[in-house]
Amino acid sequence: MVWVVPILAVLIGGWLIYQNLASRGPVAQVTFETADGIAAGKTEVRCRSVRVGMVKDLELSGDLKSVLVTIQMDRHAAALLCEDTRFWVVKPRVSATDISGLGTLLTGAYIEVEPGRGPQGPTSFHGLEEPPPTNRDVPGRRLVLTADEAGSLAVGSPIFFLGVEVGRIEKRELAADGRQVLYHAFVREEFSPLVRENTRFWNTSGVDISASATGIKVRTPSFQAMLAGGASFGIPDGLEAGKQAPDDMIFKLYPDEDEAQSSLFNPTVKVLLLFDQSVRGLAKGATVEFRGIPIGRVANISFGYLPFGKDSRVPVLVEIDPALLRRSMPGQVAEPDDEFLKQAVAQGLRAALKTESFITGTLYVDFAYYLDTPPAALAQIGEYAAVPTLSGGLEQLEMKFTAILNKIQALPLDEMMGNIAKAAAESTTTVAAARTTLEEINTTAAAARKMLDDPQFRGLPADLRTTLANLQKTLASVGPNGSMQGDLLRTLDELRASLRSIKALSTTIDDKPNSLLFGRDSSGNPLPRAPRAKP
Amino acid sequence: MNPRLPRAIDQGLASCHVCGKVTPVVAHRCPRCGSALHLRKPASLKRTVALLLAALALYLPANMLPVMTISEVGNVMASTILQGMVEFWRREAYPIAIVIFVASIMIPIIKIVALVWLCAAASGKVHPSPRILGRIYWFTELLGRWSMVDIFVVSILVALVQFGAYMNVTPGPGALAFAGVVVLTMFAAMSFDTRLLWDRLEILNAAKTPQPPPDRE
Repeated sequence: MVWVVPILAVLIGGWLIYQNLASRGPVAQVTFETADGIAAGKTEVRCRSVRVGMVKDLELSGDLKSVLVTIQMDRHAAALLCEDTRFWVVKPRVSATDISGLGTLLTGAYIEVEPGRGPQGPTSFHGLEEPPPTNRDVPGRRLVLTADEAGSLAVGSPIFFLGVEVGRIEKRELAADGRQVLYHAFVREEFSPLVRENTRFWNTSGVDISASATGIKVRTPSFQAMLAGGASFGIPDGLEAGKQAPDDMIFKLYPDEDEAQSSLFNPTVKVLLLFDQSVRGLAKGATVEFRGIPIGRVANISFGYLPFGKDSRVPVLVEIDPALLRRSMPGQVAEPDDEFLKQAVAQGLRAALKTESFITGTLYVDFAYYLDTPPAALAQIGEYAAVPTLSGGLEQLEMKFTAILNKIQALPLDEMMGNIAKAAAESTTTVAAARTTLEEINTTAAAARKMLDDPQFRGLPADLRTTLANLQKTLASVGPNGSMQGDLLRTLDELRASLRSIKALSTTIDDKPNSLLFGRDSSGNPLPRAPRAKP
Repeated sequence: MNPRLPRAIDQGLASCHVCGKVTPVVAHRCPRCGSALHLRKPASLKRTVALLLAALALYLPANMLPVMTISEVGNVMASTILQGMVEFWRREAYPIAIVIFVASIMIPIIKIVALVWLCAAASGKVHPSPRILGRIYWFTELLGRWSMVDIFVVSILVALVQFGAYMNVTPGPGALAFAGVVVLTMFAAMSFDTRLLWDRLEILNAAKTPQPPPDRE
């Protein structure tokens, strides 16, 4: 009976030891650049703040360049060790964008594990020196932004939509060809529907000061974005939202909002244009406009696009953003690009070369609807659709000029000359007729002279002189000593006297209006008056 | 031992385990308190050995597993008895290290070894002098309670140091095993009937001297 006790004790002791040993999982080795904040036997390993292991040992690596941290994982956490599992040290970090890990000020640093997805098994890892900004398991949209230069946008910079922070820049790297900067951006799940295929991204870092005729405009982003840079995105005004952008879609990062708004250029369609005129002055990269608004650029000029043949037209490959063309034709947004182009061409869409500068002779490609052109259809040459073209620019001018010359040439000049000769002959006879007329005029003049020589006609001035003398006499009677003058003076004197009496009357009426009816002294009661001042 | 004195066992008298009254063993029950009467503790050696084995079995986990887990502002430290001692020693707190070593590691093992040795003596495997036997038994009994010091410390700390996130002490599985060791050795010491030792001496003496026994050898 009593032997049950030692058996029980052995069982209990064995179970305790077994449990302790069994709770240990695999051992992982992680290399870090520095073991700052890590202590053997004290630093925990956590996954989403849940303890999954403990740092067991800490030693310098063989080449003395890194630190080898041995981690005793818990048994339930064995599945965390996958090929792409990431380890990093969580400790207090202060940067321009955020402050993290403050909790570890008191508790000490810990090692965070982010489980990987690859096959399980490896036990040696490279630790990250910086925490990855967003956990890979966090659902959301991951995008790539390309920019010509990095500017102030950095890892951890926020991404705004209408000023609301919706994501972050996760990673910044140079493109493989070294010509662009690639930003890996992350937009949180709840905001990911905001990112559309025709969304434009732009840099909102820094202060934007622009002076114009209306004054100086200063635009500042949020304080955080000013310090640490930031990016915004949105759909340009007036553009209809496209499809939701898929993961890893590549967007161009515009330097500022204005550029993003104005540049509607997202070349998704390549179109071949065949010009039967010289393309001298049209360079690769020249703009393609639609009624003055840039919609694309010239991608290439090469005869290589044409099959061998007699066609001597110059093939120009342009890449255009059909979104803007679509806006000119409402109701066709949903149609695929080629179908849309076909309809647009049927409605008169043509490409033409236009002169950008008469001095340099630079050309650009202009798309427009020409309603009076002969109907044409969208052709298919090789892999590209070909939009019919019109001549334009200097070429067009030249052609018009030629047309005018041709017209001039076609004029019936010989016949005209004959007519002119005939007209000249006719004019000769006219001149003869004119001469006889002159002779007649001469005789008329002679008759007139004869009339003037008549003595009666000569007495005419004397008559006139007597008439004038009479007139002078009459005038003298009206003069100051004339008889009429005295009459006039008298009349005037009388008029003056009567005017004086009218004045007296008006004074009386003014004083006593009733005197008109009652006479000057209508009552015996004199009205009191102010005493006259005695002299 | 001087000239042979009559022994209670020879007279068939048994002392009650509870009240100590001496009664003829044939009565089976103590007339005073009613508890069972035995000449010697029944199966004493066997029980003692069994309990000692159990204690020994638990001694391993007691020293291998952490007795106490101290979490101090996120800093979790689980330590076994030996680790704690080493830690104190490293911090040059030598007296405390020595106390821990003696009370928690030495005493249990000494107790176990001593009891095993006493059992061996009682069953005639070894023949030490009676004086040493007495000393050792006395020592074993004396030590018994002191080895509980560790458990007391752990239980007091666990009860007192509960400051939420700042500091926390929780008992580890080692504490259970250690308590088991201490309790089992105490029971082993209790179940060991010392009279067996003296019985063995009597037998030895009787075997040595058919004549009146000498004083001492």
